[in-house]
Amino acid sequence: MPNILVIDDDDIMLKAIKNILNKDGFNVVTATDGKEAFDLLDHTIFDIVITDLMLPHANGLEVVGRLRHNQGNRNVGIIVVSSVGNEETITEAFRLGADDYLKKPIMAGELLMRIRKLIANKNSKTQFVTKKK
Amino acid sequence: MWNDLANLLFLAYEQFSLLPLFIEIALILIFVAVMATLIAYGSILFRRYNSSVYNKRLAHLSPIIEDLITEQVLLNENLGKDIPIEEIHFDQKALSNKIFRKPAVRQILIDTLIRYRKNFRGEVGELLRKLYIDMNLVEDSFAKLRTFKWETKIKALVELTQMDIPISDSMLLPLTNSVNPTLRAASRNAYIQLSKNEPFKFFDVATEPILPWDQMEMFKIITTTKDITIPNFSRWVSYSNNKSIVVFCLKLIAYYDQQTAIPSVLELLGTKDHRFRAEAIKCLGKLSAEIAEEKLVSMYTSQPVNCQIETLKALGRIASGKHLEFLKNEFLFSNNFDVQMNAARAIIRHNSQISRLMLNEIMETTNEENQLIIRHCQNPLIKY
Repeated sequence: MPNILVIDDDDIMLKAIKNILNKDGFNVVTATDGKEAFDLLDHTIFDIVITDLMLPHANGLEVVGRLRHNQGNRNVGIIVVSSVGNEETITEAFRLGADDYLKKPIMAGELLMRIRKLIANKNSKTQFVTKKK
Repeated sequence: MWNDLANLLFLAYEQFSLLPLFIEIALILIFVAVMATLIAYGSILFRRYNSSVYNKRLAHLSPIIEDLITEQVLLNENLGKDIPIEEIHFDQKALSNKIFRKPAVRQILIDTLIRYRKNFRGEVGELLRKLYIDMNLVEDSFAKLRTFKWETKIKALVELTQMDIPISDSMLLPLTNSVNPTLRAASRNAYIQLSKNEPFKFFDVATEPILPWDQMEMFKIITTTKDITIPNFSRWVSYSNNKSIVVFCLKLIAYYDQQTAIPSVLELLGTKDHRFRAEAIKCLGKLSAEIAEEKLVSMYTSQPVNCQIETLKALGRIASGKHLEFLKNEFLFSNNFDVQMNAARAIIRHNSQISRLMLNEIMETTNEENQLIIRHCQNPLIKY
């Protein structure tokens, strides 16, 4: 069962995404700010991280940057979900290593589809590395 | 008892009237200050008490409401099966829970639904809207819209707009012309978002101004609302008596690059109000209206500085190259620093071989101060 970390300071969004993903068979852990997310990321390995950009303590871009610099979390799939839609922020998120970007309000079906696609990509990469070895 | 009190007050008044005038004034001021402080504290305490009651109620009700939304919307079995939203039915037993009949609970339910809808669109967003309609919460919002309190009306407008519920013109149009600026702005924003066919109809009847801050908010709504019908804004430029609407339409004409509006904007160059003229010149520049260049240059000397600066900017934006000599003369011989600066920028903006040669020639022949201005204007980090 893939492990997903959802980071958002809006408790409604957090609960909603958790319910939707649980329904589809994902194991979901939630964090309400950057600090809590870093604590979780230090101790657990996730397959996908879904993060908002505006977060207390550390913003979403910092989360993305830190995930990509951390050896243990380098292969995690990162989806940024935010109401911030300006090009500079989106570009910065991708530059730091985000895999995907969704603008709020989101479509639940679209989020699920993108998660599945990221997991499929990740699995095919792992298979490729194993075969090479 | 009442007699004693009356005697006491009378004695106090007698004592008071014997005091010197400045002491009397000081005592009155002290009394007013103490009363004002007490009223302020009382009001703060009352608001805090209300807020704590609301928070307690919210803490108790939130899980119930969130469970309802989760079960009926987020985990609805029919989602993702290509079933039309109108054909998805909710569990009537859950919806008819007695708790959802209380007005306070219904308000919390509406607020929660709106929070969800800000986060979700697509099927989930539509199903949230259906839940709002099926629980007859629309009526609650319309009831609020009919009250006399402007704050309540604004709340209703926000709810109906967020839930994409159409409001009749007879109800909404009068509010777009309200004397209360906050209500006026909210209803105009609601009108644009809800009226898909004629979102700017209220421009025809608006006599109250659109304030600058409201223009910014409205501009954001117009440019971000999907499927909005954009009309030719020149009709209000030509016929509206409301100056703020004309100015706002000029900005929209420039944003949507409505070339067909150029003749209407040109007509505004003859208006007596110089701020109006400056806006019209700016609009013509942004539209790159080459046809306006001759007129702008011919009227230049009779204009106030703000219109002159807008003319120079417009010539830089149009950049036809026909008036480079005019720009050069303004740069070299004007006594106004802003005029010189904008003339230099206009020449640089042409970015043609002739303009570059002209700049080189000026740099070789002019004084140090002018050279400094040109170098400053050539800096790409300084926004034009």
